[in-house]
Amino acid sequence: MLEVNNIDVYYGDLQAIWDVSLTVGEGEIVTLIGANGAGKSTVLKTIVGWLRPAKGRISFDGFRLDDRPTWKVVEKGICLIPEGRGLFHGMTVLENLEMGAFMSRTWKAQGQTLKRVYQIFPILEARKNQQAETLSGGEQQMLAIGRGLMSHPRLMLLDEVSSGLAPLLTENIFEVIQQINQSGVAICFVEQNAVLALEMAKRAYVFEGGRIVREGEAKDLRKDKGIQDAYLGTE
Amino acid sequence: MTSDFVAQIFVFGIIMGALYGLASVGFTLVFGVMRVLNIAHGAFMMIGGYLSFWGFTLYHIDPLVSLLLVAPSLFLIGLIFYIVQVFPVIKFTDDHDKIHISLLISFGLCVVLENIALLLWTGDIRSITTSYAGSVLQIFNIRIPFVGMVGVALAVLFVFALYLFLVKTRLGKSMRATAADWKAASLMGINTNQAYLISFAIGVALAGIAGTLVCMIHSIDPNMGLFWTLKGLIIITVAGVGNIRGVLACGLLLGMVESLSVFIAGASYREVVGLVILVIVLMVKPKGLFTSRGRRV
Repeated sequence: MLEVNNIDVYYGDLQAIWDVSLTVGEGEIVTLIGANGAGKSTVLKTIVGWLRPAKGRISFDGFRLDDRPTWKVVEKGICLIPEGRGLFHGMTVLENLEMGAFMSRTWKAQGQTLKRVYQIFPILEARKNQQAETLSGGEQQMLAIGRGLMSHPRLMLLDEVSSGLAPLLTENIFEVIQQINQSGVAICFVEQNAVLALEMAKRAYVFEGGRIVREGEAKDLRKDKGIQDAYLGTE
Repeated sequence: MTSDFVAQIFVFGIIMGALYGLASVGFTLVFGVMRVLNIAHGAFMMIGGYLSFWGFTLYHIDPLVSLLLVAPSLFLIGLIFYIVQVFPVIKFTDDHDKIHISLLISFGLCVVLENIALLLWTGDIRSITTSYAGSVLQIFNIRIPFVGMVGVALAVLFVFALYLFLVKTRLGKSMRATAADWKAASLMGINTNQAYLISFAIGVALAGIAGTLVCMIHSIDPNMGLFWTLKGLIIITVAGVGNIRGVLACGLLLGMVESLSVFIAGASYREVVGLVILVIVLMVKPKGLFTSRGRRV
């Protein structure tokens, strides 16, 4: 469904990504792991069009994305839950959710979608008239994911959803992500916590210094000696 | 006698203040959404004023009717100006540079518009004197000019219309979302460039409306632009950037304090009052008077 082919990405003169290729299939759940600054988030930013690849090609169902503005990428059914959540401060929880359904094809159905999001995150309904920035960290993350769901995505990209959250909350959030995946949405998530990521995902890509150094089934990578030493910690 | 006199001063203060508020509302919209400081806002007011002046002297169109022509014309001028001049320059810059660059462009535009006005309409001070310009409503000993009342009513109407547009409509909400975080807004499928474009054009159209009312209640001349821009800067800073209703309240406050200061200290100190208020607010509540609730409309 999503195909990233041999992209190079630069921040100004600095190259951040070398020749990265990856795919996410229909309904699949894939993780990108690796150390800080390995280029995982950069790949997600490039997919949504915040950054442009200098080389290579990104396509979604055969539709070329890498020369499109972000709003067109999003219209194809891709949503990104960005690092730092990107909530609209000064707007209420409900208004934030409404903005998730901004696109014409989702705007009319927003009442229905809203019910579903409130079912997944009942706390958002209780807080719907509160300003987004007054929520706790965990609630803000739920709002960010709920807002993403409002756009009826076929592929959801998540950038470090666990950052700043207590372990228990992180588990809850990941349970929800699994639910979302089971409802047919493909997931591609970037995660610092490799143990958790490899438990969650079906496949994984391991980043190092802006390159993909390993890829494969998550269960195989979990057993791999090199991966264990570098990312999982030895017991 | 004195109490009547003070009441009379407040009446003029409210009329002037409503104009200040209306003049600033487009300014704060553009700054709030785009982080672009449009120094030419006052000059766009001037153009709007002259267009209605033309309409009145050449075709005898009542200025209140000519609003229907002035507002769309200025909206169009805003669109064109944004597309040919603002967009190519700001598209690659971050918020910080945007303010610097927009200051330069719009200051240049201000000079250009002033000189166009000098060519077309000479440097004379102009105003529109309609048949009802002299009518007043007398309540006890207080005289309220009819055009002033219309001005206040229209200012309140337009400010609330803009507020409702931003709070209730899909497009308005998307503009607020773009103002809050344009990157996140793009992730919602919002075409942020389009949101900027529309905000800018609405801002310029509101300047045109304000200019028409100024021409009707007061007077216009080619150099008026920077005067109104300065008032706008004071008001949007005191109100808190992007605060639409706060701008109206601050405009009224400034208008009343100014006319009171004329009564107490004489007309020569009038221009200082606003700056003093600005300094005090910046010292005590630098984010603006009306920002405590965290809501940014």
